[in-house]
Amino acid sequence: MATTVEAAGLTAAAREAVRDLILVLADSKRLLGMRYGQWILGAPELEAAIACAAMAQDEWGHARQFYALLKDFGEDVSALEHGRESHQYASMEALDAEPEDWFGLIALNALADTALSVQCEALRGSSYMPLAQRVEKLLDEERFHGAHGVAWFNRLARSGGAAAEAMAVAAEAALPGILQWFGPDSERAKLVVEAGVVDAAGSALRERYLERIGGLLDELGARGAALRSHTPSFDGFDEARRRVSTTGPDAETVARIRGDKNRMFLVD
Amino acid sequence: MSTVYEVFARKARGEPLRHIGWLTAPDDDLARVYAYQMYDEERWFDMWIAPRDRLLEVFNSDRNTALGR
Repeated sequence: MATTVEAAGLTAAAREAVRDLILVLADSKRLLGMRYGQWILGAPELEAAIACAAMAQDEWGHARQFYALLKDFGEDVSALEHGRESHQYASMEALDAEPEDWFGLIALNALADTALSVQCEALRGSSYMPLAQRVEKLLDEERFHGAHGVAWFNRLARSGGAAAEAMAVAAEAALPGILQWFGPDSERAKLVVEAGVVDAAGSALRERYLERIGGLLDELGARGAALRSHTPSFDGFDEARRRVSTTGPDAETVARIRGDKNRMFLVD
Repeated sequence: MSTVYEVFARKARGEPLRHIGWLTAPDDDLARVYAYQMYDEERWFDMWIAPRDRLLEVFNSDRNTALGR
C-alpha cells in the first residue's frame, strides 16, 4: 500500500474520485458537527446535551483529518475549510438545514451519521493508505454515535402516540436523500472499487447501509418497509458532490463555519 | 421514568475500580452511551455503570448501621 497520492499509482480519474470522496466526507462531517452543536442547548435532557457536544467535537475532529488529507491533492486546505460559499460544499443534502426539532436531530444521528460510517467502513482496507489509517480510530468513536442514535430512535419510535409519529415523519424526510447519497452504479463507482480505494460503492454500499439500519426501520412498521423499498432517482445527481441540489447548507451555518464574525482575529 | 446510574472506571488493567460520577438515563442503552460521552475526559481502561438502587449498603460507620439496618 502506498502512502502518497503519487506513490499510490492511481489513474488521474481515480485520483479525482478519491479527492471528491474525501471532500464529501470532510464537508458532511463538518456540517453534521454543526447540527449536533446547534442542538446542545435544545436537547431534552442534560445528558443528551453533553452527548451532542461530544459528538459535535468528534465530527469536527474527523472533518479536520479529512480536510488535511486534501493537501496531498494540491488543495489549499485553509481555503477549503474557511473560504467557500454554500454552493461549493459537498456535504450530504440531509444536512443542509438545521433540524427543526429533536426528532429531526435524531434522524440525522441514527440515519445520516450511520451512512457516513458505512462509507468510512468501506475505506478500512483502502489501497490509499492515508484513508485506511484514519478511518479505524474514527470508527471507534462512531460506535457511540450509532448507539446514541439507535437508543434515542427506539425510545421515541416505541413511545407510541405523537412522539412515535414525529419520529416516523423525521425518518421519512431524511432517508430518501440519504439512500440517494450513496450514488448510482456508475463508471465512477466501478472505478473506485477497481482501484481498491473502497470495497463497495453505489447500490452495494446502499444495501449494506439498509441492512445496518434494518432494526430501526422495523420499529416503523409498514412505513419502515416502504422506506426500505424506496428506489432513489439519480436525475441530476452530481457524482462529485453527491447531491442533486445545486445549492448547499444554510447561509448562516456556512458563515459560522467560515468564521466571518471573527475574521479580524484570524492569525496565520 | 429516569434512573440514576453510578459510573465506575479504572485507569489500567489490575487497578481497583473507582467511582467517578453518576448520570440519569431512561434505559441501560442510553446510560452506557451517556457514561462514555460524559466521562471520556480521561483515557480509561474500562468503565462500568450500575443503577444506584441496585447498590446495597453493607454497613455505615457514621450511622452505625450494619447489613442495611
